[in-house]
Amino acid sequence: MLRMPKFELERPASLAEALELLADASVESLIVAGGTDLLPNLKHELFTPARVVSLERLGELRGMRELEGGWLAIGSMTRLDEVAGDARLAARAPALAQACSLVAGPQLRTMGTLGGNVLLDTRCQWYNQTYFWRAALGFCLKKDGSVCHVVEGGAKCVAAASNDSAPALMTLGAELVFVRAGGRRVVPIADLWLADGAMNKKLESGEILTEIRLPPRGAGHRGAYGKLRERGSIDFPLLGVAARLELDAQGAITEADLVLGALAARPVRVRRVAEELAGLRASSNDLDAALGRVAQLAYKQCHPLPNVPGDHEWRREMVPVYVRRTLDAALARQGPVRDA
Amino acid sequence: MAARDPHGVGAPWGAFHVVGKPNRKVDGLAKATGTAVYADDIALPGMLHAKTLRSPHAHARILSIDASQALALPGVHAVISGRDLPIKYGVIPWTQDENALALDKVRFIGDPVAAVAAIDEDTANAALKLIRVEYERLHAYLDPREALERHDPAIHEGHKTGNISKHVELAFGDVDAELAAAQLVVEGDYSFHGTTHAPIEPHCAVAQVGADGLLTLWSSTQITHYVQRALSRVLELPAQRIRVVQPCLGGAFGGKSDPFSLEFTVSKLAMLTGRPVKMLWTREEVFYAHRGRHPMQMHYKTGVSREGRISAVDAKILIDGGSYSSFGLVTTYYAGQLLTGPYDFKSYRFDSTRVFTNKPPCGPKRGHGSVQPRFAFEVQLDEIAEQLALDPIELRRRNFQGSHVRTVNGQRVTSNGFLQCLDEVSRASRWSERRGKLGRGRGLGVAGSMYISGTNYPVYPNPMPQAGIQIALERSGRCTVFTGGNDIGQGSNSMVAYVVAEELGLALDQVRVVAADTDLCPVDLGAYSSRVTFMVGNAAIDAARKLRAQLVEALALEWKIEPGRVHLAEGRASDSGDPARSISSAEAIQIAEARFDTLGSTGSYNTPQLGGDYRGGTIGASPAYSFTAHVAEVEVDEQTGRIRVERVWIAHDCGRALNPMIVAGQMEGSAYMGVAEALLEHHTLNRFGLHAGPNLLDYRIPTSVDTPELAALIVESLDPEGPYGAKEAGEGPLHPSLPAIANAVFDACGIRLRELPFTPGKVLAALRARKAAAPQEAR
Amino acid sequence: MRVLHLKVNGDDLEVAAPDHWTLLEVLRYRLGLTGSKQGCDKGDCGACTVLLEGKPVLACMTLAGNAQGRAITTIEGLMPAHIARGGSGPDPIQAAFDRCGALQCGFCQPGMILSARALLDRNQAPTRAQIREALSGNLCRCTGYTQIFEAVELAVAESLGVAPAPRAWEAPLAESRAARGES
Ligand SMILES: Cc1cc2nc3c(=O)[nH]c(=O)nc-3n(C[C@H](O)[C@H](O)[C@H](O)COP(=O)(O)OP(=O)(O)OC[C@H]3O[C@@H](n4cnc5c(N)ncnc54)[C@H](O)[C@@H]3O)c2cc1C
Ligand code: SF4
Ligand code: FES
Ligand code: FES
Repeated sequence: MLRMPKFELERPASLAEALELLADASVESLIVAGGTDLLPNLKHELFTPARVVSLERLGELRGMRELEGGWLAIGSMTRLDEVAGDARLAARAPALAQACSLVAGPQLRTMGTLGGNVLLDTRCQWYNQTYFWRAALGFCLKKDGSVCHVVEGGAKCVAAASNDSAPALMTLGAELVFVRAGGRRVVPIADLWLADGAMNKKLESGEILTEIRLPPRGAGHRGAYGKLRERGSIDFPLLGVAARLELDAQGAITEADLVLGALAARPVRVRRVAEELAGLRASSNDLDAALGRVAQLAYKQCHPLPNVPGDHEWRREMVPVYVRRTLDAALARQGPVRDA
Repeated sequence: MAARDPHGVGAPWGAFHVVGKPNRKVDGLAKATGTAVYADDIALPGMLHAKTLRSPHAHARILSIDASQALALPGVHAVISGRDLPIKYGVIPWTQDENALALDKVRFIGDPVAAVAAIDEDTANAALKLIRVEYERLHAYLDPREALERHDPAIHEGHKTGNISKHVELAFGDVDAELAAAQLVVEGDYSFHGTTHAPIEPHCAVAQVGADGLLTLWSSTQITHYVQRALSRVLELPAQRIRVVQPCLGGAFGGKSDPFSLEFTVSKLAMLTGRPVKMLWTREEVFYAHRGRHPMQMHYKTGVSREGRISAVDAKILIDGGSYSSFGLVTTYYAGQLLTGPYDFKSYRFDSTRVFTNKPPCGPKRGHGSVQPRFAFEVQLDEIAEQLALDPIELRRRNFQGSHVRTVNGQRVTSNGFLQCLDEVSRASRWSERRGKLGRGRGLGVAGSMYISGTNYPVYPNPMPQAGIQIALERSGRCTVFTGGNDIGQGSNSMVAYVVAEELGLALDQVRVVAADTDLCPVDLGAYSSRVTFMVGNAAIDAARKLRAQLVEALALEWKIEPGRVHLAEGRASDSGDPARSISSAEAIQIAEARFDTLGSTGSYNTPQLGGDYRGGTIGASPAYSFTAHVAEVEVDEQTGRIRVERVWIAHDCGRALNPMIVAGQMEGSAYMGVAEALLEHHTLNRFGLHAGPNLLDYRIPTSVDTPELAALIVESLDPEGPYGAKEAGEGPLHPSLPAIANAVFDACGIRLRELPFTPGKVLAALRARKAAAPQEAR
Repeated sequence: MRVLHLKVNGDDLEVAAPDHWTLLEVLRYRLGLTGSKQGCDKGDCGACTVLLEGKPVLACMTLAGNAQGRAITTIEGLMPAHIARGGSGPDPIQAAFDRCGALQCGFCQPGMILSARALLDRNQAPTRAQIREALSGNLCRCTGYTQIFEAVELAVAESLGVAPAPRAWEAPLAESRAARGES
């Protein structure tokens, strides 16, 4: 059996205790939530922490609560299946619920957490491999080595941000609450990312993501998520498309947002989408052409690299197709978009 | 009675009581409740855990190995390398080119180099990192064409034909003249990409050496007998000092039908340490062990008359064998030999060449050697139907070879239910109403195939039976059947129980089956080439019928009636002339035991002399052939290029279905695997010679949502030599899946897919090419 | 090494294991509950599926220490629980798998059966599409899933007291046997 390197497991019973453990800089520590990303990575010896701090017992990080001003807070330890199945979210954040419903397979969704999904490590076919395999390769920039095999001669890792929830949370304008011993910060999710696959998030050591907060949305909120993958279950995305539209009382589009995942080191917001769609009505004759233009915008702005396994040229071709289908689904209050 | 005598297709006592019915399997509940014991479930007192050090280079010479630091690590009990097991082995006696641990060269990334036994897996892993190996890297061959063209450096030094593992060229009839005379000749290139078995259970072996020196090996193998022989050769122990046991096996599909490195290493380590030793491979190691389906580049040229009658088939095949021979000699023959049915060829020629490359070794995977050529040929048939404007099913009907015929390459075909298979799939799919009429993007495709039910070529030539059975019957009513047959999930132990229960008139729960233990069971050659039902089934009838005769005789004497009146069924013995006279089978056995002493019998099976009268003519010669037809229904998304297989109708002539439920399970499992090979799975190496994704996430086997609806339609042709007329069901039904999908895609959107797998990218490219060729119909 | 307090199949157990061991390793190699299988090492196959508080999870991706304080059900626990509820023999879902021929090599099946059990516990009458979805994290390499679906559907039909749908092969086979004069 593929084994994890040895470590000490700590299971603090309170957030304070957890933060204290993490504040101890003398011990190299990692956080484990559901463990469904961390454990394979440990088995691949991508990390060799001395200590693993489990958030399992922190009941306060699980579940959802309404905040003032119509915001909704989702605890970082809320399971993906709980997010996917939540009736409130189905109405006010359909893209998020849909994205979570398509993560991995059923067991992994009962284990994996929303917080862990947001903080998922980037993925690459040259990286998510065993120690033996990576050693035979001679390693790569992101871990233990000095070259990139995706972009030969490249100086920056381009491993893919492969978390399904991230594009959806981006379109929703989510904020993340991080807490550390003696501190706390709230980060709009759009500001979390770095365009570097080696470490694509601005994180501070010793901090715990406690909440993911969603701003209020009106009755005209529309959203959907589309996921391209080879199989209909288990697989990480080859492409993720999250769409958000806000309609006014007359059914005209007032806001539009489109974020793509799994292509680059960070989720990618497609530019000029709102310009194309604003003011159009679902019934308008011009809508079809405008949606087509948005799909082409996405195509022009996205250049997937052969970072994750699969045919990257096909992934690129699928960008406009999935963008279009996801926008259509959002308008029709349907989704998720999946064809396998 | 002799090993070669047929036993008839019916129940001599009238109607069957057990055979032919959807009975439970003998091991179903043990598996459903988690009590069945698989290799990794075995834990012995004091057991050590072993791990393998593998080559990080695709092709290299080993200059030195220094294990001193590893040996010094506390908890490490032994380290071995190639020199500790220097004798070569290989499943085919003429091509023994493997070492348990590389002796002086490594030939692919993952080739085993050294092994460690330690108190636990973590310690063994830590020790591996302390072994220093110095290599001299050699040019690595990743392209089979290059290996064909040059052999310096040679992958196997001293191999007579350089990097060519095997070359076979055979011709039957005058192919050139027939092609010249043909009214239509269709020619094309086809390719198969390489896939692997991916049983869910990884390989595992446990060895123990008794104080008396007796070696016992529990191994997840489908060939206990060959493993015993290979261990005897490599360890230089007499075979009778070696006991090989196959515990419950978690899937194999041909992937466990070679002797493997771990079986020798745990044995050797157990001998060296005096402690039991276990090795469980990681999933990654299973991918390196491979023996999967060979990549093939195939060129086919078929000549037909205007009516569509096939006059000539000319094939040239390049086979990428990977680094070792494995079953490659047989593969090279099968690639040509198994194409000559269910259609009649007037003339046929094939030229197939297997080359070595620096990749994990290929071997036999379900439908060994013939799935790839079958794909090419059945797509070519569809192209012929298209050009002749014939219905593809009608074309196949016209070329049907018939039953009880000899093929162009001299194989004897007995029962042949192929036409009924075509009828079944045509009816069930409503072919004539629906084909070509489903609208843009949806289509139906058909393909046919044939496969062997075992072969008369026993891997190592010998005149002894291929299958043996022993039965013990005792006064409590319990019957134990001993079989060397390997139940790999296909249900062969259940099959044996059905046969014996039927013959002896027992209830199924009276029969125990002890299988695949070389100390307890008579020899059987193993679970490969779909031989088990046919051969072990016949051996079981042979053994049981002898015992039945004793029971009948004892009861006839006891009851003073004609033997013909003694009726044995479902746990009772009765007098058909006097319904009041009925006793339990336990009582019947007691009467027989009193008269004949302790009851038991043996039986066996061997094939008749078969095959063409030429070198290699016996390879692919089977006592009976199974036949299959599929119709696949697909939907092609022309925007994404994705093919969705909605449904596959699988009609399979298995002879008699001894248990139709088990037969259906084999048919469905086969079709599933074929669909997966057509659409999803790809055993690929990257540019460094590393397996691109040696795990079950990147090597994508279908989940329950990816698998089409599968409709199994059983055709029973009742073979004169099979057990009660049975043939095979485990491999044949895979073949047509791939071409049926390709042909359905043509029906759906007019593109010909000749290169596997049918990825969306390829589909989109083909759609674009079609539009470019016919711009007026583009939309 | 530390002492874990695990609640397995209703029993409160104490077992010593290193911190980096998974629940699967502890079940198989410390507690001898080898019914949970290991197929892929890392979350890809579902063979190690067990129920935690009634929900299917992967034991190979669960740190043993983190399984403390939660009710663990393994395949070995189903039959005893069924008997304790007044039933006899195996759990009906286990029996259905057996009767439908769904157990070929059987290696995927402890996990598969537990996923199916969890499905039936939350949905008494799932459609085939729902069955497919619920089992889509359990890879089976032998069956092509068809007999697995049939098994779940048989268990459903029996619990609802209706007849299960006939299998594709039944009618044509019966017909051709009858035509031959066999039953
Ligand atoms: C076979 C397989 C398929 C998968 N498919 C998908 C897929 O399709 N889509 C997808 O998005 N993911 C997929 N995943 C990855 C994973 O299951 C999910 O992303 C899951 O949501 C991760 O959550 P977790 O709680 O298990 O994370 P963990 O593994 O516990 O943590 C992930 C990372 O986040 C950190 N972390 C977690 N929680 C916190 C916190 N509260 N504060 C600070 N740091 C934290 C951890 O230290 C770790 O670095 C797959 C995994 C597997 C094994
Ligand atoms: S993108 Fe390049 S550097 Fe980053 S993980 Fe992949 S190979 Fe390594
Ligand atoms: S062994 Fe746990 S998912 Fe494969
Ligand atoms: S029965 Fe063998 S893997 Fe499912």
